[in-house]
Amino acid sequence: MAEWNAFYQNEEADEEQEEGEESAVNYKVTGRDSLVFLVDASKEMFIKGEDGEPSNFDITMQCVRSVYTSKIISSHRDLVALVFYGTEKSKNPRNSFKHVYVYHDLDEPGAKRVQDVEALRGERGARLAADTMGSGEVSLGDALWCCSNLYSDIKLRLSHKRLMIFTCMDQPHGGDSTKDRQARTKAGDLKETGVVIDLMHLMKPGGFDVSLFFCDIVSPPEDESELGLQVEPCGKLDDLQKRVQAKQQKKRAMARVNLCLGEGMNVAVGVYANAVTARKPSAIRLYRETNEPVHSKTRTFHTQTGSLLLPSETRKAQVYGNRQIVMEKDEVDTIKKFYDPEIFLIGFKPMEKLKLHHHIRPSVLLYPEEQQVTGSSCVFAALLKKCTEKKVFAVCRYTPRRNYPPRFVALVPQREEVDESNVQVTPPGFNAIFLPFADDIRKLDTPQFPTASDVQVDKMKEIITKMRFKYRSDAFENPVIQQHYRNLEALALDMLAPESIEDFIMPKVEQIDRRLGPLVDEFKELVYPASYNPDSKPAAKRKTADAGGGDEKKPKVEIPEAELRAHIKNGTLGKLTVPVLKEACKQFGIRTTGTKKQELMDALIAQMAK
Amino acid sequence: ITESGNCSLVLCMDVGFSMSNSPPGEEPPFDQAKKVIQKFVQRQVFSESKDEMALVLFGTDATKNPLDQDGQYQHITVRRQLMAPDFELLEEIENHVRPESQQTDWLDALVVSMDLLQKGKYDRLNIVLLTDLSTQVSSDNLDVIIGNLGKLGITLQFLALKWYGDGDRRGSSRPGVGKGLSREQKQGLEMVRDIMLSLDEDEGLDQVYTFSEAIEQLFMFKHIERRPMAWPCQLTIGSSLSIRIVGYKAVTDEKLKKMWITVDAQTSKRDDVKRETVYCLDDDNETEVQKDDTIQGFRYGSDIVPFSKVDQEQMKYKHDGKCFAVLGFTKHDSIHRHLFMGSQTIKMFAPKDDEHAGVALSALIQALDKLNMVAIVRYAYDRRCNPQVGAAFPCIKQTYECLVYVQLPFMEDLRQFSFPSLENKKFTPSESQLAAVDSLIDSMMLVEEDENGQKEDMYKVHEIPNPAFQRLFQCLHHRAVNPGTPLPTMEQWLKDALERPSAISERCQAPLEEMKRKFPLKAVEKKKELKTGAQIFEPDAKKSKVDEEEEEFNLAKISEGNVTSVGSVDPARDFRSLINQKSLPFGEVCQQLTHRIEQLLSNRSTHYYMKCITCIQTFREQSVKLGNADLYNSYLQSLKKSIPNSGLQVFWDLLVQGMISLFIGGSRFSPT
Repeated sequence: MAEWNAFYQNEEADEEQEEGEESAVNYKVTGRDSLVFLVDASKEMFIKGEDGEPSNFDITMQCVRSVYTSKIISSHRDLVALVFYGTEKSKNPRNSFKHVYVYHDLDEPGAKRVQDVEALRGERGARLAADTMGSGEVSLGDALWCCSNLYSDIKLRLSHKRLMIFTCMDQPHGGDSTKDRQARTKAGDLKETGVVIDLMHLMKPGGFDVSLFFCDIVSPPEDESELGLQVEPCGKLDDLQKRVQAKQQKKRAMARVNLCLGEGMNVAVGVYANAVTARKPSAIRLYRETNEPVHSKTRTFHTQTGSLLLPSETRKAQVYGNRQIVMEKDEVDTIKKFYDPEIFLIGFKPMEKLKLHHHIRPSVLLYPEEQQVTGSSCVFAALLKKCTEKKVFAVCRYTPRRNYPPRFVALVPQREEVDESNVQVTPPGFNAIFLPFADDIRKLDTPQFPTASDVQVDKMKEIITKMRFKYRSDAFENPVIQQHYRNLEALALDMLAPESIEDFIMPKVEQIDRRLGPLVDEFKELVYPASYNPDSKPAAKRKTADAGGGDEKKPKVEIPEAELRAHIKNGTLGKLTVPVLKEACKQFGIRTTGTKKQELMDALIAQMAK
Repeated sequence: ITESGNCSLVLCMDVGFSMSNSPPGEEPPFDQAKKVIQKFVQRQVFSESKDEMALVLFGTDATKNPLDQDGQYQHITVRRQLMAPDFELLEEIENHVRPESQQTDWLDALVVSMDLLQKGKYDRLNIVLLTDLSTQVSSDNLDVIIGNLGKLGITLQFLALKWYGDGDRRGSSRPGVGKGLSREQKQGLEMVRDIMLSLDEDEGLDQVYTFSEAIEQLFMFKHIERRPMAWPCQLTIGSSLSIRIVGYKAVTDEKLKKMWITVDAQTSKRDDVKRETVYCLDDDNETEVQKDDTIQGFRYGSDIVPFSKVDQEQMKYKHDGKCFAVLGFTKHDSIHRHLFMGSQTIKMFAPKDDEHAGVALSALIQALDKLNMVAIVRYAYDRRCNPQVGAAFPCIKQTYECLVYVQLPFMEDLRQFSFPSLENKKFTPSESQLAAVDSLIDSMMLVEEDENGQKEDMYKVHEIPNPAFQRLFQCLHHRAVNPGTPLPTMEQWLKDALERPSAISERCQAPLEEMKRKFPLKAVEKKKELKTGAQIFEPDAKKSKVDEEEEEFNLAKISEGNVTSVGSVDPARDFRSLINQKSLPFGEVCQQLTHRIEQLLSNRSTHYYMKCITCIQTFREQSVKLGNADLYNSYLQSLKKSIPNSGLQVFWDLLVQGMISLFIGGSRFSPT
């Protein structure tokens, strides 16, 4: 058991580290990301669809809310703003723009803001919007100007600036060419200062014609290809959320390295995470009196003299075979250095050689970096095409950073996929699957059993068929994280109780039972004899971990000091069990970090010798 | 030599006269045997094995063993009693195991070793005998010895200088084997055969190795071997169908448990160094506060919410503990390999003693396999661990069936990036380019069919030991045995194992040259990458520190006048120094400057306007100095044109005020 637990802790620590590396690098190098929602609040946005479908305004607010909450969870340091245009009333910093209502200026999203947006949803939300803002004249130029002021008022360094326009009007100014021109100019200014403008155009009767006006407003797509504007307008919340989600996260490379095909043939690629385990954020320490955050400082000092130790006054050591082996810190680093950062091609293997269970960590995606080495994209595209055709993957040696030992990866080609409305669902690139070394593979004794008969297998097939569903990787929310944030939300907003969450990874037992009906009993009759009960445990050899946390249940195992000394004297300390030794350590106030028997024994012997 | 599980083991080595004999140009058997035991002990030390080990030498000039009586068991020395191997043993071998001049019956040495093992504390007993078999052996007591070996359950491993095979085992492929053996050696080998076969009729001879075989196997430090831990649970489908299962971790990202500790540089003592963490307020004095006066809180976006441990524990998500419950079944191909999460795969079997569970599980595995489907399950290791969602794949091997469990992502984990399409005219490779890639791939296939149609994989990553561990142990060993000397270079075999196989390197030469001809690649000059690049690749956790250092470093550079590009702090000065250095072409430096100006202007603030004016003044001044006004004039002209549209009239007015004459070269343009 101990080993499994150790594993979980390790995993957590490691991944936090990896994640930390990713985000820490980002903020430092590039500053904060920012996102402005510029939402049309004219009357047309509030028209409900047939059959009572939610209005465009409503789905926009749902979408904004989900971005707010996801920002809080995944990147709370990003800045977000919500601005309405085409309103009757005005509210903006210097009130210099009419019909522009800054609902939230650029800031980190918090609980209050989520509530504010929540209030704008649905029937009630529409009424609230009508009361506070109303609908009036539209001047997109003014709105954009106002947004550009939001950006320039920010003192922080902004890395990525994005502005999303939500509207269902393809001619917002109804053909007023002066206003159109003004909007175009303002959009041009914004784009010049590095703001990326996206259009989230919504359904309108008669279709949304981007070419009438908005094609001059939005930023050209990154790749200057056909993708981008030809996208159909959004009618569904799902689609809109997907689109916003895809755009709102800035792609951040974890590393940029060369894919080396051979001497003198280097293709630049960026390395991107496909998925990173989201965790509860770590707690921050607050001063009890004022609730203000405190920061921690760690000092290293000499136990005897009490003077602070400089890094150069310490060394690193490990103990093996009863000997302490000491090294300088930079030696410890050099030991880890094998190669400069690169992905070095070893060769190719047919796809079927990639074993499903050879999995040791989440994969990453490679995409060419034309800005680093021109010509990279072409080689990359050719490799991608040929690997797909020939059904092969590339085996490479991957060194992500300096002073990092190499790992081997399988580069598996992934072709681009788009959905019906031309939105990319799978990006093109090579997925780098990390391969295990000999040390990572465990030898197992495999028990042998008779295989099931055809009748038995067929019955199970019926069960499986009854329980088929379409798996989607984004279908399961993490109940642990969701609960944590609901709790925080409740505390932040002084709610009586946190909103309840739905546990999506809980089996819907009743539904399953109903669907399977008599099949379960039929299967059990086929495989289990009448006397067999899988639920009755065979004589439990030891307590399961479920009983856990059982310190208080265990009898205290204290040992008299005299007896302990006798053991030490006779060298029979090893006869005592680990719990007894641990208890003895506690008894004599010895703080041990060790859990191994030898470590405990050493600590005791050292203490008693004093 | 040993497998997992603890054992007591005696290394019994012949150091007698004949061991130092060898034909010219060949390594004497003594040297080979010594290397074998050194490597073996090294491995044991670094794998922290609990096995106990004794060392018996025979053929020694002296005699030192418990059976030494009446002239019996002479010239046998017990160098070390059974105990855990450590560096002392390694040094003992290094310094005290040397060729000696006597000849001893190896059966006597075997008896001494058996005697030592009687005191072993583990059940598994093992003797490794290393000899060239050149001594006279009296076979009188052979039956008794064999009987005792069997009775005590001692496993014997023979490492002989040479082994003459019977063709069906290793023998056939080894040249020169069995030839040139002395009569004693032949007789000795016969006896070895007798012993080994009587101990284990079928596989006895598998325990006989030659020295060189042993060295080959011992070259690497031992792989980490962890005993698999069983995780008994029940697979459930709905409320009434459950199947008993046991999970074992099959593949996992293995880490070394041992960490570096910090010691004092002078005394090398850990206890002399103490670390202490203090908490400070964010005020100017960094007022320290006691740890007890702090509480924990969490960030909710911009809000900070105090949230005590007790409250957190009470309100957190709770579940029922251990669980492997099926949520439903789905098509195999809807699970994407690149979205596997976590760092392990778990294999699920039925419990060993439960045949009914075995059949039930087999039905599930077979059915999934036939339908090409997988189970989506909720998995929780125990109550304290967070539940996961994952997939259970059917796995059918010749000798066993199991489910393979892999964790899948939660919605919060996904990074749904979209990337520009590569189906772009600019990047579309031509037919001839594709052909070049095609032949490159063909030349670099690591898996090929041999003449028998067998697929041969020449690069099995999962058989390479983790180089990080190997290298670390090599360096630790070196430092322990040779303190004060620099660390060694990487061992050649390890270097080779990480490289492209030489056969592939040769074969891909021509296709690679063709690739280079077909695909022009050009590295783009990095502008301000110096700093960011270093940061991106810098793995150091103490980033802020590094950052400061870098910053200082850069400042130092600037003050020394070693400027590499026009920065944003003082662009005018950078510009001037770059012109003076003449390391970059004038045009490029100007471009960098104007780029900076554009950037600064985009901030729309007077402070930046002033900076820009200084830049433009410097631009003018340097252009005049160099007698090259074209770039300056054309830039200013385009700037002037853009003013009405960019709302920079204020700036322009300031510029006009601040300069006597805008353009160089006369009065063609008026300064308004």
